[in-house]
This record gives sequence, structure tokens and C-alpha cells, in this order.
Amino acid sequence: MTEDVGNGQAVVQLTAVRKEYGESVALDGVSLEIHAGEAVAVMGPSGSGKSTLLSMVAGLDRPTSGSVVVHGDDLGTLDEKGLALFRRRRIGMIFQFFNLLDDLSALDNVALAAQLTGTSASQARKRALELFEELGIAGRRNTYPSQLSGGERQRVAVARALMNRPAILLADEPTGALDTKAGEQVMDLLLDLNQIGQTLLLVTHDQQLATRCASRVIEFVDGQIAGERSLERTS
Amino acid sequence: MSAVWPVSRAAVRRRRIQTLVIGVVVLLSTTMIVVALGLLAASSGPFDQAYTKQHGAQLLASYDRTKVTDAQLTDAARSAAAVAGPFGQATVDVNTGGPATSLVLVGRADPAGTVDRLNVWKGRWADKPGEIVLNRNPTDSTGRGTPTLGSAMTVAGNNKLTIVGFAYSVSQSADAWVTPAQMTALKPTSTQMLYRFAHAATNAELTAGQNGVTAGLPSGALIGTQSYLALRAAAAGEPNTFVPFLMVFGWLGLAVAVLIVANVVSGAVVAGFKHIGVLKALGFTPSQVMVVYLGMVSIPAVVGCAGGVVLGNILATSLLTRAFENYGAEGIGVPIWVDVAALLGVPALVALSALVPALRARSLSAAQAISAGSAPQSGRALGVQRWLGGTRLPRSVSLGLGLPFARPGRTALTLAAVVLGVTSVTFAVGLGKSLTTYQTAASRVGAVDVTMFGGLKGNGPPPQGEGAPPVAKLTDAQDEALLRSTPGASSVAASAEVPMRMVGASTDLRVSFYRGDFQQVGFRIIEGKWFDGPGQVVVSERFLRQHGLAVGDTVVLQAQDKSVRVQIVGKALYNSGDEVLSNWQTLALVAPNQRASIYEITVKPGTDLDTYVSAVQAKDSGLLETDGQDAGSFVTIVLATVVLLTLMLGTVAALGVFNTVVLNTRERRRDLGMLKSIGMTPAQVTVMVVTSMVALGAIGGLLGIPLGMIAHRVVVPAMANGAQVEIPSFMLNVYPASLLALLILAGIVIAAAGAYVPARAAAHTTIAKVLHNE
Repeated sequence: MTEDVGNGQAVVQLTAVRKEYGESVALDGVSLEIHAGEAVAVMGPSGSGKSTLLSMVAGLDRPTSGSVVVHGDDLGTLDEKGLALFRRRRIGMIFQFFNLLDDLSALDNVALAAQLTGTSASQARKRALELFEELGIAGRRNTYPSQLSGGERQRVAVARALMNRPAILLADEPTGALDTKAGEQVMDLLLDLNQIGQTLLLVTHDQQLATRCASRVIEFVDGQIAGERSLERTS
Repeated sequence: MSAVWPVSRAAVRRRRIQTLVIGVVVLLSTTMIVVALGLLAASSGPFDQAYTKQHGAQLLASYDRTKVTDAQLTDAARSAAAVAGPFGQATVDVNTGGPATSLVLVGRADPAGTVDRLNVWKGRWADKPGEIVLNRNPTDSTGRGTPTLGSAMTVAGNNKLTIVGFAYSVSQSADAWVTPAQMTALKPTSTQMLYRFAHAATNAELTAGQNGVTAGLPSGALIGTQSYLALRAAAAGEPNTFVPFLMVFGWLGLAVAVLIVANVVSGAVVAGFKHIGVLKALGFTPSQVMVVYLGMVSIPAVVGCAGGVVLGNILATSLLTRAFENYGAEGIGVPIWVDVAALLGVPALVALSALVPALRARSLSAAQAISAGSAPQSGRALGVQRWLGGTRLPRSVSLGLGLPFARPGRTALTLAAVVLGVTSVTFAVGLGKSLTTYQTAASRVGAVDVTMFGGLKGNGPPPQGEGAPPVAKLTDAQDEALLRSTPGASSVAASAEVPMRMVGASTDLRVSFYRGDFQQVGFRIIEGKWFDGPGQVVVSERFLRQHGLAVGDTVVLQAQDKSVRVQIVGKALYNSGDEVLSNWQTLALVAPNQRASIYEITVKPGTDLDTYVSAVQAKDSGLLETDGQDAGSFVTIVLATVVLLTLMLGTVAALGVFNTVVLNTRERRRDLGMLKSIGMTPAQVTVMVVTSMVALGAIGGLLGIPLGMIAHRVVVPAMANGAQVEIPSFMLNVYPASLLALLILAGIVIAAAGAYVPARAAAHTTIAKVLHNE
């Protein structure tokens, strides 16, 4: 599902990234690369810097020092508008608590991402419906988030993340708020996506999610990379 | 309750912006209310106090001595509750070495009595011929040229009088007093009687009293009267002009304050569900929780109210002192009950508006509160969102338009604040237009193209030597002919101004006698007609009110040794209460040799004024061009006040919007973060948030305009009544369609102005943490 960058090329490059929040150091000289088609899981205890890393890659926050390059864009050189356009074109994000707009139907939540790029409402809904069908939730398209199950909400969130064909899909504890069955379904979905070429960066506490979906696991402790290992997928 | 206070204080600190908004809004509205109520309560207080202290005359009457004797007057006065007089009275010329003036002089043996007890505040009363006591307010300035104690003045030809004292009459019964013997020597022309009646609260009661004391007197004996109600109305004129619109602005401000407070507390309750749940879990009783939320708004409300009371007192005292300086205005201020009412009433009103949402906080169960999210419930106005999502509007705009439907209660409160803001702007614009139109018409600004000074008043020898003003070289008739024949002239009106007195009143009058094209000089007749024969005058509404007269009445005017009985044939639109308009035929009865001093000329379109004036002055270099009429300062002061109050109320309404947007963006920070995470730019976020309020602004404009127009219709006539002027109905029709279209923009501007800053702040918030944590 990626474009421009072929498999094997670095989609994400972090070089000596440091992030401070006042006195505390969230990231301390982190350097890493993620290649096209990879599924990377970042693991570690609470406060180890996993989510901060995700924010850096998504352009939601800026490093105190160091550089972040995603799909050829040096995020340090982009202003607020540039970062917004970058996220729109290159990034898809899914969150532990879904972050869907309660006022919009499931379909409109997903279509919204395309409409922001200037796509007409009808085109956006058409593309959203295709994704709904691919993800098996077409029957729930006109339902509002509060009426969906956790797993369905996360599928809607995934559909929204994929709407603009992102270079990398970022997932922050995507199964953290789901029951076992729903979590399994989401894991399958992510695995499927990666198998058709979608680059993934997962932040998770869930060892099972990491081993099932990721080809590489990076361990974080106190804002630093404490270890890295490649995995054989269990599925 | 010891646990409640720190929690309330912490809530205030946590919501600094809302606390500031409430404090400022309450301060501004309290200030306006205190000023308005203070002026209303004290508008006639100083005059009444001074009048009571002096046992002031409720009716001052002048009688023709040739038609009625003192004995007849004394006999007829038995129906009055108290009476002073008969006193001999004359209007005499005075020569103090300065410009010629005249005085209403009354012969009185002593300053005491049952009516009009004079306050001899400097020197002593006149006790022998050759002495005079002048009527002067102790607070009057004593600049250069003011008569001093012991100095002499020559009156009525060659009578030299020494100033032995200064007294003050609130009744304005005379300009000066002498002994009865001295008055006899000066040959009084009329007799003065001063009355108090058992009932004199209204004009009808005064008229009844007057009928009682004049019953049986010869016809034509009564030649003039002065009512204390007219003096009272004149004294209260300025504050009474301010009261109506200050009241409107004050109540509008308070209404906006109530809406904002209700909005803030509702928002705090909605956003603070978890906080409420935690408090209850800790053991706070439902009532304590309610008190926390009431305290949160009461603290800034009390502080704002106290500040508003102080500021209102300062402003009201300044206005009252200015208005009542002639009545010994030291110490005049806002009555204490106004301060107490404001200090108790405004915070109570604020607390009441917070009560409903606070009760909601009280009734929430702890479990329900802790588990509740801050996001709006689903199912609300979702159809609107869906419809908007399918339109061709940019998505940031369509999302913004849908936001108000998520919280209809808050939207209604915000809309009401915008409506009140637009009402204020509409009212203020109309008021400004009406006042400006009135002032332009009343002061005749721009009515004539050229005004030329023709030289001295009267016919005395022209002043000689260096520095003496130039005088007209030609005769009055030749000058008028010259002005008419000079190319470009369209109309020429000539006038002479003569200082006169109306018998029965002690105020000086300026009577302007016109000839020629006087109908072209800008006066507008609003009742009756222009003069068309001798013995006719046209006056202003204020003149009629101050003297208790009406069109059709007859009065006697005096100048020097001449009296002329004139009929009021019309009422013209102008401000002055001491200016009378008449014609040349009437002047011939008073000063037949007087020449015109002023020529007012209108020219044909395209005429160059400089060329015209040069052509005139080439033939009479003594004719000088002078400045035309200028608008008075009072309307300017009122307009400045209106503009200031409108800006204040507009700001208050914008603060209401600001507050709503702050609440909305805080509640929706997760949504905003998500939108930014999928690529919404800061500009799009700003557009979305501002759009959500702009739609309210447009609706607020549509609703607020008619309310403002109604306020204008009610307040402007009330102000005119207070100011003792009449505003013709056409001056109330000040809202053309183009203006109404612009006024709708006022709502949009208020909404956009209030929304922009929090929208920008929302657009630039860091979103990472919001998104990662529930």
C-alpha cells in the first residue's frame, strides 16, 4: 500500500534524537531506521519513551535535538502547516482509544481524512466504503462510534488511517483497550496489511501482538534503545 | 465547609480565563448599572434639598403695577400655603464699566420670610438706599471682571449702588435686591409675588394654585410666572439625558453577564464530571459540591461587582457634580442604597444563574460522574453533521458549522450573548445617527454657506483706534443689497441680536430678530408657523418647558426701558432654552434703529465662496466673514459615552463567545488532536472553530437587530424628554436597508473576534499527549 519508496528502503530515519520535557528526558539519543514493508514493534515499560518516539515519527511533536526523516521529509525543516500536510499524505495513525469523532458516522469518520485533502464528499465516501468492505465492517458504515464495539471502532480507526494510503502506519497500543477476541481480530488485520506491503510501527506492551505482527522488536528503557531483535512471525 | 473553600479557590485558579471573563463582565455591567441608578436616584436630589432648605417659591409671579395694587395681591394670596411679597420689581440697565447688561432688581426689606429664604453667604443684606445685594451661587467662579464686595455699579441711568453682600436664591427670584425705598426710587415696573402651595407636585396642582391666587384680579394683571418644576427639570436635564441609555446598556450588560456565568458553570460542570465524581468519592456531600461550583463564579463576581461599584460611584459623582454645581453639589454622590443593592443584587443574580448547572453537579452520582466522558453524547444533531459532510463546503467549514449542534444548551446561551451584543450595537448606531441628525439640524451646521459680521449691535459710535474691530462702511440696507447683488448669492437673511428679559423669569434671553430669507438659515419649524407680523416669536421646546409655556401663549419681553407683548406662534428645532427668534417688525417695537449684525448667505451651486466674499469685501471692507454654527459639546459627550459603552458591551459579548470557544476546544481537545493527526492544518482548525461561532453571529445579528431597533424607539424619545428637546419622528427612522445589512455583520464580527484567539490557541496546541491518553 505504500508509494514511492520501495521495499528495503528506509522509510523512517531517526538520528541521535533527544526529547526533553522540562527536567525529564523522554528520548536520549535514539537512532534507528525502519525500512519499507517492515513491521517494527517498540516495547518497553511505561515511561520508557515509546509513545514519544511515535509522536516524533508522526510529526506530532518535535525533538529537542537530532533529526527525524520520514519518507524523505526532514521533519525539522517543516513548519506547522508543513507537518499537517506531511501527516495527511504520509502517516496513518491508530490509537489505543480509537479517537473517533462521536458526532460523525463511522463512514464519515473515515471519509473525513480524504476530504481534508480536497477530495469531494462523494469520492471520499466511495473510497471509505471500499475500505469498510476490505475490513469487513461495511454493514456498520452508518453507525456512530458509541454504537460500535471496541474491535469495530478500531477497525474504523484503521480504515481512517489507511484512507490516504500512508507511507507508514503508526499504531499506539492498538489492542490495549480491546477484549481478547477483538484484539486478535485487530492483530490479524495489521498482519494482513503488512503482508501486502504496508510499513508498520507498533508501540505496545503486548508481547503477543509484537511477536505475531512484527518482524523486528526494539526494546526501550529510559528513553534509549536497550535492545533489538528480529522475529519469526508466529502466524 | 472548610474543605469547600480550598477546592473552590483551586477551581478559580484552574480556570483563570473564565474567572477573568466573569470578573471583567460583572465589573463592566455593575459600573453601568450603578451609574444609571445613581443618576436616576440623584437626578433631582441636590435641587430638592436646596429648595427645601430655602423654602423656595413654587410659583414666582409678576404683576402689572398699573393694573393691580399691592393690597389686591395680598388679599388674593390667601389661598396659598405661604407667600412672600408684594415686592417692587424692575428690569434695569447696569453699567459696571464692562459690556452693557440688565438686571431683574427686586425691593426686599430682608432675606428671611416664609418663602425664598435667601442665603446671604458674603457681606450683609442691604439696609439703606444706595446699597445692593447680588444673587450669586457661592460655587460660581470669581474670575476677572466679576463684581466684588464694596465695589459700585450704576443702574437705571445714574443711580450708583454699592455692593454690600452676595446672596443666593435657588428660586432665581431676582438678579439683585435693594431696599424697598431704593426700589421705589428706581420706579418699579412690576410687582413680584412668591407662593408656596399645599399641593404643588405636578403642573396641574401648580396651575390650580395659580388660579387660586389670581382669582378676582383684574384681567391682564398677571404678566409672567416661573414654576419651580421647570427649574427642577432644567436642573436635572443633563443627568436625565444619560439615564435612559445607561439603563439600557446596564441591563444589557447584566444580561450578558448572567448568560456568560451560566455558560461557564455549565461548561465547568460538564468538563468536570470526573472532578465531581472524585469530590463525592472523597466524601463531599452533594451540597458541598454545589457550593464548590457556586463559589467558583461567586469569587470573581464579588470582586468584579465591588470594582464596578467603586468605578460606578466615581463616574456618577463626576457626572452629578458637573450637573448640579449650581446647587452646591459638594458631596453629591450615588445614594448608599444603590451601592448596597448592586453589591447584594449583582452577585446574587450571578449565583442564581450558576445555580441550575450547580444543581446538576449536586445531583450526579459519584459512579455516574466518574465514568462519564467529557465528549458529547452521540445521537445529537447527527443528521445535521451528516448533511453538512455531504455538501460541497470545505470540510473544515462544514465541521465547524456542525459544532454548535453538539451542545445546544451552550449554543443557545452563546447565541443569546451575541444577540445582546448586536442589540447594543444596533441601538448605539441608531442612537448615534438620531443624535447626530438632531444636532446637525438643531445647531444648523452647514445650513448656510457664508456668515458675515456686519459690525456693532445697536447704533452707538464705532470704536476708534488701533485694535478696534472693523465696522461696516455701508448702511444696513446697502449691505443687504450688496450681498444680494453679488454674483452667486441665492438667499440672504439679516439678523440683529438683542439681550432681553421675559417678565416673570430671571434668566437672560437672546432674541434674534430676522429679516429677509430667514427661512433659509436652517431652522426647522416643528409646531405652529413662522412669524409673519409684529409681536410674534418662535421658540424652542426647551424654552417652552423651562417656562411652562406652549405655542399660542403670550409673554412680555423687556429690553432696557421697552416692553413688548409677543405671542409664541411657532416652535423650531434648536437646543437653546434662552434664545428666541423673531422678526424685524417686532424689533421695530423695541429698537427701531438697530442695524443687522449678522448676514447669513446661501449661494448657488458651483459658486466659489472665496470669490463671493472677496467681491463683497471689495465694496464694504467692514463686512467680515465669521465662523458658522458649530455643533455643541453635549451631544459629542453623549456620543462618546455611547461609543464607549457599545465597545464595552461588544467586548463583553465577544468575551461570551470567547468563553464558549475556550470551553468547546477544551472539551474537544481530543477531537482536535485527532483531526490534526490526520492532517488538518492549523489554519483549517482555526477556520473550523471560528466558523462554528460565525454562524451563531449571523443568526445573532438577525435576532438582535429588531431588539436594538425597539430599544432605540423607546430610549431616544426618553432621552429627548430628559434633555427637554423634541426629536421629530423622521429622526427616529435611521435604519436604511444598507445599514441593516451591515449590522448583521456586527454579529459575525463579534463572534469571529471572540472565537479567533482560542481558535488559534487550539490550532497550535501540542496534541501528542492528548491523543495517547484517555
